[in-house]
Formats: sequence, structure tokens, C-alpha cells
Amino acid sequence: MKKLLKSIVLFIPLSILVYIILICFWGTLLPEFMSPNIGFLKGSYGHTYSRLKEVKDFKKVDVLFLGSSHTYRGFDTRLLKSEGLSSFNLGTSSQTPIQTNVLLKRYLEKLNPKVVIYEVYPKSFEIDGVESGLDIIANDKSDFANVEMALKLKNIKIMNSSVYYYFNEFNTPKFSEKETIGSDTYISGGFVEHTPANFRIIDHNSERIEINKKQLKQFEENIKMLYDKKIKVYLVQAPVTSKYYKAITNNKEIDSIFSRYEDYFNFNNLITLSDSLHFIDKDHLNQKGVLEFNSELLKRISLKKLEKL
Amino acid sequence: MLFNSLDFAIFLPIVFVLYWFVFNKNLKVQNALVLVASYVFYGWWDWRFLGLIAFSTLVDYTIGILLSKEHAITKRKLLLIASVTINLGFLGFFKYYNFFLENFVDAFSFFGTQISASSLEIVLPVGISFYTFQTMSYTIDIYRKKLEPTKDFIAFGAFVSFFPQLVAGPIERASNLLPQFYKQRVFKYHDAVNGLRQILWGLFKKMVIADNCAYYVNMIFNDSQDYSGSTLILGAVFFAFQIYGDFSGYSDIAIGTSRLFGFNLMKNFAFPYFSRDIAEFWRRWHISLSTWFRDYLYIPLGGSKGSKLKQLRNVFIIFIVSGFWHGANWTFIVWGFLNALFFLPLLLSNKNRQNIDIVAKGKIFPTIRETISILVTFSITVFAWIFFRANNISHAISIIDEIFSKSTLSIPSFYAMGRASSLIVLLLFFLFFEWLGREHEYAIEKIGLKYPRIVRWLFYSFVLFLIAMYMQTEETPFIYFQF
Repeated sequence: MKKLLKSIVLFIPLSILVYIILICFWGTLLPEFMSPNIGFLKGSYGHTYSRLKEVKDFKKVDVLFLGSSHTYRGFDTRLLKSEGLSSFNLGTSSQTPIQTNVLLKRYLEKLNPKVVIYEVYPKSFEIDGVESGLDIIANDKSDFANVEMALKLKNIKIMNSSVYYYFNEFNTPKFSEKETIGSDTYISGGFVEHTPANFRIIDHNSERIEINKKQLKQFEENIKMLYDKKIKVYLVQAPVTSKYYKAITNNKEIDSIFSRYEDYFNFNNLITLSDSLHFIDKDHLNQKGVLEFNSELLKRISLKKLEKL
Repeated sequence: MLFNSLDFAIFLPIVFVLYWFVFNKNLKVQNALVLVASYVFYGWWDWRFLGLIAFSTLVDYTIGILLSKEHAITKRKLLLIASVTINLGFLGFFKYYNFFLENFVDAFSFFGTQISASSLEIVLPVGISFYTFQTMSYTIDIYRKKLEPTKDFIAFGAFVSFFPQLVAGPIERASNLLPQFYKQRVFKYHDAVNGLRQILWGLFKKMVIADNCAYYVNMIFNDSQDYSGSTLILGAVFFAFQIYGDFSGYSDIAIGTSRLFGFNLMKNFAFPYFSRDIAEFWRRWHISLSTWFRDYLYIPLGGSKGSKLKQLRNVFIIFIVSGFWHGANWTFIVWGFLNALFFLPLLLSNKNRQNIDIVAKGKIFPTIRETISILVTFSITVFAWIFFRANNISHAISIIDEIFSKSTLSIPSFYAMGRASSLIVLLLFFLFFEWLGREHEYAIEKIGLKYPRIVRWLFYSFVLFLIAMYMQTEETPFIYFQF
């Protein structure tokens, strides 16, 4: 038995070493289709690379925005600037509470916001968070928070990608992301402006959103982390098209979950927008919609009172 | 609990440590641990069916003891019938009830009589076909006076529910496995390492070969009407590797896990795709089931004795029953029938035992004749697999119809050709090692034993890396769980 245990103890570090070497070799030298379990998402959809590069140069802000694509497409930091408030939009595509946690651990101290506006798009509480995890791993620095995320998600692709990007950080050729990709333009501060476009209204089949318990638990931890730092938190549901919103059968149930926390605003019930004039698709606002939504938001949450905080 | 899950990766070391370090002094307690671990393993999937295993265990344990005390032939027969009826009754209800009901209704409507009967929402208990056959063999062997019944209920319970092979075999005979529960197991380094090596190869077969093939197989078979004959052929070939990787991978993990606990299970696969005729294929594919049917059905029917007509009848019965064992669908029956048809020329020409040896034994390459025989056998096997995989008979026929059309001359099409090419590279890697290791218990059993330990360890690390790089990101159940 001792011989077996000794062999296992010797074999494990060797196999880890081989694994790391081969991950780097596979990811660097072989074509992408030969490495299906590494997520090559650097510079992918949503300007995550530019946002996470810029946040490293940001210091103290008044307001921090967190959440999914509804965040980086829905909260225009320029409008806050015109109100005399500094802010950063840390939304990323399909960001679930598990990814929010990674970003908070990395940037909360540094940004030290007085207020956090946390966008709680119910769909981002339903998914496992693998794709959004890969997005952050590929576009941000590698640290222990990635490993923690890999363990939480129990996903081999996340694990492989964390290892690949960690050991390849210095090996990767310099990468730069264009400011404008298609109709999207990255605005300093994290917001992504979409060239005004209208949306052709479509019907949606009714659907029920099942909140993932693991995501909800992580969300509660995130909230606690913010409360512990005495940061004022506003939970916001950004508006989606009314047709889509009506197709979701358990909106009340979802509202009751988020209403447990103070200051929850569901803007689907607080603002009237036109499905065809204010959206680019079923659940993302165009710039016209953003202006309407943001001015209503500013009225509701009175950010000017920040100075008193 | 799936072998390819994180749960099992935690469960196995815990049981291993308890087994060898905590309960190693007392055989009975060690057997009790195996029993409890097996029930936890099974209950992880669905605890409601634990009662079924417990009941089956109790019935055969009691009947076994009663048989040993009873000398009157009629009463002994009645006891045997009781055991077989109860076991097959459960199997029949859970697995075949809806099939018989639907066919009964269809048959009546064919003759113009409409009867109404509603099918039941029955969940098939995982592994019922396997452990039912295992317990039946125990009672039958006692009835035949080939085996003494056990009075050790814990040992018998552990034999019936032994977690490595509980849900998908190998279907063990009591005469092989049960005595191993009576003897004190001794830890042997060589056996444990051999077991770990076999588990590794089994995981590779399942998680890399089978699961990646499954991706294309599902894509092609689910929308078969959209694909050319050539793509459908490739889909059927991928299915051949999927089912082999999946099932033999499970067997390898089961046998390897048993070795870790000092048990030896029977071999279930012996490189069947290197067979030179269909008879050889069936001596190498799902050996534990084939030999079960041979011993408990084929031989009692007369086997290869008697007239040719009787032999033919026996062959068709055994293949069709074997097909039906796999599932309550006509596709499995046709699959069994086709294999019987392929077997027919060999039986008629008395050539069904001409390829007993391992192909190209002691050589690197097979002869041209051997190569052609292997390819022909593989092709007809793949043809039969189409029925096994298809949703129903008409689906299978539509696929075969397309395969025998002009579209078979076109280049196979894929939405994601890149990934398919990486699968082909993996299949070549797999076949290379399977060929190299075909004279052994499993492909990598003796690979590299001549070289220093570090070389072997680098190879095992490489296989582990391939699993991490090519496994599916979600746990996928084994195909044979549904049987």
C-alpha cells in the first residue's frame, strides 16, 4: 500500500506539469478546433477586453455598475459625468453573480465606489455562467479568483482556459481591440453605444425563468460583500421589450426575490418605452432608449444625494 | 452515480480508504462496507429503486437456501420457476410492459378491432437487466447443482449489488464472483496499479471516443433526412465507435475498480472490431451476456447438437432474444435477427469456429486476407448498428435507402468539419493502441512496460491530458444504462 501511495504522490505533480505544458502547446501551436476545451474569447463580443483594460487605470469612482450586457449597453457613464459624478461600467456579456464576484474581488477596493448599481437581469441568474466566465478569463488578468471560479463552476473548459491564460500571459502577442466593432462603439468608462437602430417587433413564446440556486447564493454573498464595505446598493432591472417581458410567466415571483433587498427597481414597470423605437433586439436598449431609461433612473435614485453619503 | 463524474471521483477514494485502512481486519465488515457503498452508489441515481434490488436479493437468497434443502424434483422446479418468474416479472413490467401493450393494441386494430389501453409512465430502473440476469444465474446454478448456496446474506447482497458492475455489467456468474466475497482480500500493488491503468483507458474510451462520436451521431441520426448517404455512413461508423467506447469503457472502469478492491471480474470485450467474421465478433463483444445466453438458453435448447435446422433455430432464438434484451423496440429485434442472418453462412459451412486465435498474433501487421476479413466484418456490423441506433424501423430503412443512393458518392458534410477532423485523429490514436494491445486484457495493459517508469507515466499523463482537452463539458450517461 505504501508503494501505491508513494507512486500516486509522485505521479500527481508529474501529470500536472505535463498537463500545463501540453495546455500551452495545444493552445498556442494547434488550430482552435484541435483545442475544443480552451475558450479563445480574447476580444470577443461586448468589448470586455477594452473595459477590463481600462478599469486597471481607473481610481476611485462615485458609481459602479455591475451586471450583464444590459449593464454595459444600458448605463451610459457620460450622462453621470454631465451630472458631475464619476462612474465605471463593469458589465460583461452574460455576467452571472459568479463572475460579478470575481470582478468585485479584483476591482472593488481600487474603485471604492459610494454606490453600486447592480443590474439583475433574471436570465443571468438562470444560466451556469460558463461562457461569461470564459469571457473574463480570456480578457482579464489571471489570478486565484479564476481558479476559484473554475472550482465553483466545476467545468473543465473554465479550468483549462484559466491554466492556459495564466501561463500564456507573457507569451501572447500584443493584442488590441478596435474601438468600433460593427454597430458597437466602446465609450471610455465601460459603456458600449449601439448605433441607433430600430427593432422589428416579434412575438415570443411564453417562458418561465428558473433562478439557479447556486447563482442566487453567490448573489447574496456579493451583496453582503458590498454591504460590509458600507456601499449603497441599488438593484435594477433594465427594461426589455414589453412583448418579451409579458412572455415571461413568473415576473412577480422574480420581483419578490429581489424585493427582499432594499432599493430594488424593476424598470419594466416604471417606464414606458416603445418596443420598436427604443430597442435593438428583444432585451437591449438602443441609444434613444438608454437616454430615456437613464434619465428616469437618475430621477428615481437621486444620485446627487451621493455627497451626503 | 456516473463513473465519469466528480461525485464518483470523490466516492471512490473514500470507499478505498475505508476498505483497506479501516475495515480491513474483518471480512464480514469489509463485505458490509461494499454492500453499503453499493447501495449509496445506486441510490445516488434513484433511491426509490433500492427496494427492488433488496427484494431481488432477498428472493434469490431465500430460494437458493430452499433449493439446497429440497430434493424432490417437482418442488425444486417450482422454486426455480418462482425465482425466474419474479425476476423476469420485474424486468418485464419495467422494461417491456408498454411495448407489449402497444403491440397488442396495434395487432387488434390491424384486424379492425379498436381497443383502448393507456400506456404507463414507467421509469426503467438503471441496471435492472444486468442484476436480474446475475441473480437468476445464481438460482439456476444451484438448481443445476453446480453451486452451493450461500448462507452469508451480506456476502450475497454485496455480490448482487457490487457497485463497480451493478448498473452495466459485466454480468457476473455467482461461481466466479461470490466465492471472492468469502476470502480475505489481500492488497496487491500490481493489481491496484493495473486497475488504475484500466480505469484510465476506460475513461478515455468513454469521455473522449464515445462522447465525441456521440456529438456527430446525434447530429446525423436526429436529422438523417438532411444528410447524404456518405454522411450517414460516417454517422453509422461513428456510432460503432461510440457504442464500443461507451460500453467497453464502462466495463474497463468496472473491472479496474474491482481490481482496486481485490476482485477479479470477467472480461467483457476482447477487441471485437478486429474480428475476422461475425462469429468471432460475438465471441469478443459483450462476452458476459453472450456466454450467459449460451449457458442458460442456447445449450438448454440443444446448442449446436442435433440437426442443422435445430441449430439454426437455436441461433435465431439466441440472437433475437439478445436483441430484445437490449430494449423494448423492434429495432433491437431486427438488429438481433440481422446478426443471426450474418451468422448463418458460417454455421451452414461449419466455419463458425475458424477464427479462434487473436488476429495476426505476434505480428505487427495483418495479412491482406485478414485485413479484408476485418473490414468486411466491421462493415456488416456497422450495417446492423443502424437498426440499433435508429428511432424505429422506418427510420433505419430511410437511412439505408439513402446509403444505397447516388449521394453516397459525395463528400460527407458537417456543420463543424474542424471538430470532426480532430475526432478522426483521436480515433486513429485509439485504434493504434487498441491494435498494439490486442493480445492483452485491455489495450494499454502492457504498453511501455519495457521502458522506464517515467516513460509510462508520461504516457498516462498524456492520456489524462487528452481527456481534459476533449471531454464534453457536461456529464454524459452511459448508453447501456438504458438497457
